[in-house]
Amino acid sequence: MRLEGIVKRHGVTTVLHGVDLAIEPGEFFVLLGPSGSGKTTTLRILAGLEAVSAGRVLMDGADVTLQEPGERDVAMVFQSYALYPHMTVAQNIGFPLKMVGTDPAAIARAVADAAAKVDIGHLLTRTPGQLSGGQQQRVALARAIVRQPRLFLLDEPLSNLDAKLRLETRLELHRLQRSLGATAVYVTHDQEEAMTLADRIAVFMDGRIAQVGTPREVFTRPQTVDVAGFIGTPPMNLLPARWEGATLAIEGERLPAPTAAGAPRDVTVGVRPGDVRIATAGIPARVERIEDLGDTAITSFDAGTRLVKQKADRVPEVREGDSVRLAFGPEAAHIFDRATGARL
Amino acid sequence: MDRRRYWRRLALAMLAGIGVAVWVFPVLWALLTSFKTERDVLAYPPVWFFEPTLANYHEVLFGASSIVPNLWSSFVVATLTTALTMLIAIPAAYALGRLRYPAKRASGFYVLGTQMLPPMGLIIPYYLVLQKLGALDTYGGLTVIYLTFALPFAVWLMVSYFEDVPFEMEEAALLDRAGRLRALWYVILPQVRGGIAVTTIFVFLNAWNEFMFAVVLGGNRVRTVTVAMFNFISVEQTQWAKVAAGAMLAMLPVILIGFFAQRHIVKGLTVGAVKGGGRR
Repeated sequence: MRLEGIVKRHGVTTVLHGVDLAIEPGEFFVLLGPSGSGKTTTLRILAGLEAVSAGRVLMDGADVTLQEPGERDVAMVFQSYALYPHMTVAQNIGFPLKMVGTDPAAIARAVADAAAKVDIGHLLTRTPGQLSGGQQQRVALARAIVRQPRLFLLDEPLSNLDAKLRLETRLELHRLQRSLGATAVYVTHDQEEAMTLADRIAVFMDGRIAQVGTPREVFTRPQTVDVAGFIGTPPMNLLPARWEGATLAIEGERLPAPTAAGAPRDVTVGVRPGDVRIATAGIPARVERIEDLGDTAITSFDAGTRLVKQKADRVPEVREGDSVRLAFGPEAAHIFDRATGARL
Repeated sequence: MDRRRYWRRLALAMLAGIGVAVWVFPVLWALLTSFKTERDVLAYPPVWFFEPTLANYHEVLFGASSIVPNLWSSFVVATLTTALTMLIAIPAAYALGRLRYPAKRASGFYVLGTQMLPPMGLIIPYYLVLQKLGALDTYGGLTVIYLTFALPFAVWLMVSYFEDVPFEMEEAALLDRAGRLRALWYVILPQVRGGIAVTTIFVFLNAWNEFMFAVVLGGNRVRTVTVAMFNFISVEQTQWAKVAAGAMLAMLPVILIGFFAQRHIVKGLTVGAVKGGGRR
């Protein structure tokens, strides 16, 4: 499955500026990004629900750019589930098979089979209106898997579920995809969902793909300052600095850099909250707020012009209002070009 | 608090009673009159207790001035009008409500605009056109004229029903390989059936009750029941009891439809007031 130079314009606004993407068979691929970044548009282009302004969509080597949604052999789970309210659960699940003229007995078998895979075998005679959100979501999944398509598209399928159910369904979704061996493209703005589900992630920013990689790669080596600021809870601290030799000058204090700079330059330094520690020497800061989350604690520091967040296993032995110094190891610093935002 | 609520409810009930009385009085008057003799009708002071007679019904059904052929004419015209209107209006409302195409706003406004023309201004051109075509006093002629106002009305009424079906649902059907026509048939139409029912009823009733075009463009062959009743009123004499009996018979289908479809009508008219499956 490939996207080549996809451009999408709505009137004068350009939603996608040349998106290139290759998705491998059997992969769980997540399109991650803030709202309005173009990830849902990309998914809809894959589905054939949106026409492209330029570029090509390839599936199994064939150009499907101009094919209708029904000709592409893809199934989609919508954010709203888009179940047919006047049909029973069984009719909903069997609908894609009925549309291609499968005989009723075969439909009944396939429906029972798909329903069993998502544990809704006992709900087949109900209508969507009689189901809970979680059950509706399973019906939508069953409708997608019943026809064994070559590609599953999922548009924020968990966003309408409550937090507990979301975690459970996330696990099941992963298990289901693995057991079917299906290729799945999954859209979400929730980076935790992306990190836990994805084989690979494409991070969308302003209609462009900022980075493609495994969750670990995206987390540990963000390629742009935008990706760095988007991934992680709380997100990475981003501090303006001057990189000279093997030191980084932040707020007038010199801290060791991971490598030596070629020539002195202005950069943005990114440090994960987990890598920030309170030290005897370093950036001067004042403790602003300590949030105790039980198993972790998030402390906010006022470091002159910036707010710096620290994440630790335990509540630090400081009090709100205390003056402290903040430091981080040289290997923890991610250095980005100040002007372009690219990783250096 | 309870006292105030009591008085408020009483006042509301009285107000509702007055409203109902205004609506019910003509029907009640016609119902009573239809069972009176012409002499009792004209008695002064009016008689409250009289010997009921079925003579008027016998006369308008089986007598010289039977309105049965006229009831049939009305039925044919109203049914034809309704069937043709719905056949054209359903795809038109679908297109206006759900498709993106150039000049959509303009065509929507055009549909509404045709509703604003006073029918009186159209009746003479219609007459001349039908005369030229030799279609005066024919079912075809009257039906086509009824279409000109039933169609925009039906389209306008149904567009909002079509708009209310979530777009994702149709997209899901397209991905399920239904194609546009089958998506319309299997997914969209079942969800707008309430709106279709309401529109069908209104179109039928409007055609059934229509008088002005029928009296001018009809004639001896196509004389609808509204026109036939009018003929009981002449310069010399108005046969009130027969008018009333005819009116009761003409009202019968209207009342029956209203009775069986009221649930649909009320639900149909309040659509959008409570959002169920929301639109994006």
